[in-house]
Amino acid sequence: MSEHTIHTPILQLTDVRKEYGSDGITTEVLHGISLTMEQGEFTALIGPSGSGKSTLLNIIGLLEQPTGGSLLMQGRETGTMPEEELTRLRGKSIGFVFQFHHLIPAFTALENVMLPLMLEEGRLTPEQRERAVWLLTRVGLADRVDFKPGKLSGGQQQRVAIARALAVNPPLVLADEPTGNLDTAAADGIFKLLYEINRESGTTFLIVTHDPRLAKRCSRVVELVDGRVVS
Amino acid sequence: MLFRILKNSFLKRPKAVLLIFLSITMGAAVATAFLGISGEISHKMALELRSYGANILLEPSAVEGGFLREEDLPKIKTVFWKYNITGFTPYLFSIAEFSAGGKKERGVVSGTWFAKQLEVPGEDSSIQGIKGIAPWWEVQGRWPEDAAEAIIGAALAKRLNVVAGGDVTTIVRGRSQQFRIVGVVTTGGYEEEQLFAPLVTVQSLLQLPGKVSRVLVSALTVPMDDFGKKDPATMSKDEYEKWYCTAYVTSVAKNVEEVMAGSRAKPIWQIASAEGALLKKLNSVMLLLTVLALGASATAVSTSLMASMAERSPEIALMKAVGADRFQISAIFVGETLLISMAGGVVGYLLGDQLAEVISRTVFSSTIVSPLWLFPTAIISALSVAIAGSVVPLRRALLIEPVRVLKG
Repeated sequence: MSEHTIHTPILQLTDVRKEYGSDGITTEVLHGISLTMEQGEFTALIGPSGSGKSTLLNIIGLLEQPTGGSLLMQGRETGTMPEEELTRLRGKSIGFVFQFHHLIPAFTALENVMLPLMLEEGRLTPEQRERAVWLLTRVGLADRVDFKPGKLSGGQQQRVAIARALAVNPPLVLADEPTGNLDTAAADGIFKLLYEINRESGTTFLIVTHDPRLAKRCSRVVELVDGRVVS
Repeated sequence: MLFRILKNSFLKRPKAVLLIFLSITMGAAVATAFLGISGEISHKMALELRSYGANILLEPSAVEGGFLREEDLPKIKTVFWKYNITGFTPYLFSIAEFSAGGKKERGVVSGTWFAKQLEVPGEDSSIQGIKGIAPWWEVQGRWPEDAAEAIIGAALAKRLNVVAGGDVTTIVRGRSQQFRIVGVVTTGGYEEEQLFAPLVTVQSLLQLPGKVSRVLVSALTVPMDDFGKKDPATMSKDEYEKWYCTAYVTSVAKNVEEVMAGSRAKPIWQIASAEGALLKKLNSVMLLLTVLALGASATAVSTSLMASMAERSPEIALMKAVGADRFQISAIFVGETLLISMAGGVVGYLLGDQLAEVISRTVFSSTIVSPLWLFPTAIISALSVAIAGSVVPLRRALLIEPVRVLKG
């Protein structure tokens, strides 16, 4: 049992396919993707537009169900899970960083980070608040905890989004072009931050990026072309 | 945090919140007003319908012969349902021979009260008699005012060729009594073959002092339902109590029967049923209008919420993405809608109460007192509108796909 646990990958996709369409007219956007990610990996997912990167990320993030194949999250088959269980698993195991950060404007940075904690526990504890403050400090926003998103720069907002993604200490963080909306300096800063967190905590990262310069700095690069993994 | 989410929603979308609030308020106000005046309308209509005539007949319980006692009549105004009894009148009948101007005819002489001042110790004074319970009778002339005066049915008057001012001699079992005819009555019914004289005179003529053949009672009652039609003899104690304390024509009849020695009370079904059916239809119409008003409000709430949901879809999608389950999403939006509906319910009640007052004053020229149940009813109506209006938007919210909303 313990041996099995040690070697269980964070993520294991086998022959994952995804089709869209109805009334007999379908388009297959993922053609049998097989991919394994171990704990602590820092992986870039690259590929041209329309290659299926976002679809793959959504399937890994349990936001979409594949049409075929299997997806094991920490060894658990997700294809047969009811929606409520998928939601719970997503809340506990996966952090998301979006290109447009999607912070709630009326909340302070601290409240945005505390949101997943509150949703997980159903209430807020002093320990959760401490963790949220610690995370904001870790991403370099100790002096901005009570700022609302409108008062923060794009890079700072993305840092809040990263802290929010790490709030429940998920083993896997999915980042969909997290630097795509930032200038080069800010993008470098964000990428460096993600890498440092990966080194410190062993959190697994899968980062969709169009930037080959950043992709080269990842420990692994998965390239997707026309819905197939080519490298 | 939940409070912050709700506060955020209220502050960020004041127009949407106001629209929802107004929709719920209107629904609650209309429901309050309609339900508030429906009781009043039923009561007023029931009073109007009493002009149809009496709806309870009291007669001696003996199979043949037998009389009721006139001295028991005041007790009718002391029974449990005394405030529902709008009038009654006794009758003492006999076949008689009438003669006037050389013409002789057989008919019925009927002793009764026309408009008797009734004093009952401990109760308000009242006027009882035919004038009260048969307001549709048309009298050409006037009503009798002393013991030797009478009114005569139009058919009998025609056969005797008598008009107001003439005399009619009435003979019963060899005893005679002369009456001065002061009015000719047209009723459209069997009463037109009768001569109506003061009860005391007819009792004397028939040598039946203090006796009464039957009593017609006019009472305000509620429409009969399945429970009201049950045989009281088969009821449990609790059922009997409930039946007795509901103003069914049967329970009021039973109530009156209990104070009239040797009597048997029977509902006059053709009257009671017609009234019941009419009141039932009236209540149904009011209820239907209330439901329609609430339905319209729920539709307006639904439309406003749909617009609000579209605006908030990124927030919902984000919450779903970071682990909010269906219950948590529902709690936020239902909580928000319920808060608005509580406020809408209170304001709707206050507005509806005023509206009911205005309608009552305009239509019935009377004021109404809001029943205690109206406030909780207004709140429940508002909550129902909010819940009904939330169903479709909430379903849409739960179906939001974070992928599509958060992308790009």
